[in-house]
Amino acid sequence: MRGRMRVALVLCRRQVFESLVSPGFYVLLSLCLAISSALTAGFAASVDSSGFDPGLSPLYRLVSGAVSGTFGASFFSRLFAEGPLPFGLAVSFLPMLAFLSVTSVFRFGHERGAGAVELIVYGPADPTAYLLAAFLKDATLCILSLAALSAAVLAAGAFVHVLPGRLFVLTLAVVALASLAVFAYGALCSTLLSTVTSALALFIGIQLVFALLFVGGFALVSEPVRSVSFVAAAALQWVSPLFYCSLCFRAAEAAQGAELAGACLLLAVLSASLLAVGHLVIRETGVRA
Amino acid sequence: MRRAARALLALAAFAAAGSPLFADVPVRTEQVIYTLVAFNGKDYSPTFAPESSDTVYVLANTDNFLSVRKTFVYWWPPEGRWQTEASVFNELEPGILEVRRGSGEPRLFELQRYTYFNVNGEYEQNWKVLVGDAADAEVRRAQEIARAYLQAGEEYERQHEAYLAELRDLSGRVEKLKSLGRDWSMLKARMDSLPAPVQPRPPRDYVVPPSPVQGAFVVNLPVGRYRVRLLDHDARVLEGSEKWIVSHAARRINGVGYEVIPGDKWTRPSESRELDSVLYVSGAADLYVSPFFEQEFNDLQYARTTDNGARGNPRIYSWSRIQQVPHAVLLLQDAAGARHRLTEEPYFVQQTRGAGLGYTIVPFTGTGDQEGSDANLKAFRLPVRDAVSESGGMTLKATDDSGKYLPGSDRRIVVVRPGRGTAALVIIVLAPLAVMAAVVIARSRLYSRNRETERRAG
Repeated sequence: MRGRMRVALVLCRRQVFESLVSPGFYVLLSLCLAISSALTAGFAASVDSSGFDPGLSPLYRLVSGAVSGTFGASFFSRLFAEGPLPFGLAVSFLPMLAFLSVTSVFRFGHERGAGAVELIVYGPADPTAYLLAAFLKDATLCILSLAALSAAVLAAGAFVHVLPGRLFVLTLAVVALASLAVFAYGALCSTLLSTVTSALALFIGIQLVFALLFVGGFALVSEPVRSVSFVAAAALQWVSPLFYCSLCFRAAEAAQGAELAGACLLLAVLSASLLAVGHLVIRETGVRA
Repeated sequence: MRRAARALLALAAFAAAGSPLFADVPVRTEQVIYTLVAFNGKDYSPTFAPESSDTVYVLANTDNFLSVRKTFVYWWPPEGRWQTEASVFNELEPGILEVRRGSGEPRLFELQRYTYFNVNGEYEQNWKVLVGDAADAEVRRAQEIARAYLQAGEEYERQHEAYLAELRDLSGRVEKLKSLGRDWSMLKARMDSLPAPVQPRPPRDYVVPPSPVQGAFVVNLPVGRYRVRLLDHDARVLEGSEKWIVSHAARRINGVGYEVIPGDKWTRPSESRELDSVLYVSGAADLYVSPFFEQEFNDLQYARTTDNGARGNPRIYSWSRIQQVPHAVLLLQDAAGARHRLTEEPYFVQQTRGAGLGYTIVPFTGTGDQEGSDANLKAFRLPVRDAVSESGGMTLKATDDSGKYLPGSDRRIVVVRPGRGTAALVIIVLAPLAVMAAVVIARSRLYSRNRETERRAG
């Protein structure tokens, strides 16, 4: 196990280096920083003598319309009770999350198709080590980009006197944990299907289903749609990172520390379980395309 | 072909000409509806549940007035909601209301005559409900008070007219004496000493007078989901009367929110309801705040308690204002760490003199320009304009009259500085691209050096 981990770390270091010398990561990071800066600066422009009024800035008029229209005005006011930083952090990280997870699935499938993975596992590496390396690479880049993004968000907030609070710290932790679960899904999809396009389609499909279930459960929809969503969620929510995210935020909102810790732990357990399933699958199917 | 085209043209012309004849007139249908006057934690709100709504929402352990009626109902597209046309047809259905929880024993409610009203108190929460003869007596009492006030008003008008007439008469006589060059000081003294009639004060017995006595089932239920239907006296179920009642309660109580009145927009107050939240302001004006107790309800259930057709989110909870915190004291800590004890003071809104619009909020003294007026607002003044240059903001918390800290009353007040640091933000946003450029250059140099080495070696 220790040897496998060492190999995984070596492969991970190599993959992280390759990602850092290619332009994609930087372009995406710049995009994320631009989104977070715009959200923070836009918030400051939406404040008048009586407080936060989304109607004062075009960006926040749009955000308010979308969020309030989908989830309700109470949800919107709760989301911005502490300021724009938690929302800014979560929303601006989404492009990076999509980039890292999709490129990992793509790369795994591509290298598998080209026989590169097969070549690697002739050496000291095994398929699980390669899978673990891909996951660790994503986790490392995720932490790196979240750190950069948090620093930028805090700096943008400091310029306009917008302060971080407990919700910001919680959002940072929950986004990091949920990202690990998404990367684990990416790794699992890569092992389940041998071609790039099918693995990508499966991964995107799963994430879309989770997103729809989440929106269906939380959004202001008609009773029948909510009932369908409720029934579907009853079966699928236990494997959805978004469900555990909502548990985390609900526990924090009600100041239930034990429940919050439990929900965070469940998110980590979900990631570990997905990786374990991926390990079992790749052990059975091998790495040959 | 030409004939077909002509027929189509004629059809189009007919449709165009006929369209005003078939303009959208809402179709009214006779429906059995539940009307509800529901207690919402601070007052009573009327609403109704049409046939399309299968659930009525009430607050647990409070008196709510439910009645079953037959009336005309129509869908009103501009507001996207059902409306009743009760002025044409509005028939109260008699019978017994059967309310059953699960498979338990049903509770039966008889129609009662009721009224509800809010008696005058220092703060807002003084609602009373009376049924039967007591309701009739209370409404009569309110009518007598109103009648007495009207009579006093009429008497005042008469006295005022007589007073003005006497003043005019005396004034005329003074003018006459003046023109004749005779002494008019006696008349002047009489004019000055003439007592002006005192305008009667409006009665202060009620904040909200008793509602007209009506018939309804006074329903008070513990938390739960109940099946409800109306039975006639032969125990037959009235068709269309079967619905659900959801009786819900607050998840958290005694939260503290703040009504926030900016000094430059005192007619547009906002509310800070989220516990321990941050209140961001521009600092253009001082704030006048007033703490209130609030309770946290399920968003959808509470919204539908006050309006059965409202939208709400069943997955989240939201705070609702209940009543002002009585005799509160606010503790303010400024960015420098200095602590201030704030008390509630009356303020007067003074219109700016001259043609320009505007006003200033000044302490209410009841003298000078303010004589004969009441204070416009009672609030705690927060000197936000003094904190414009401070980045840390101020912290605020409330205590009750005994000095006990009120949990959840903490707020941070921060004055934002929009537009600052734009250049720095651009640099931050572009920094990854700069790193990328450096990496690409370094990589290409490395490759070209390697190629050079290989070329030399080869």
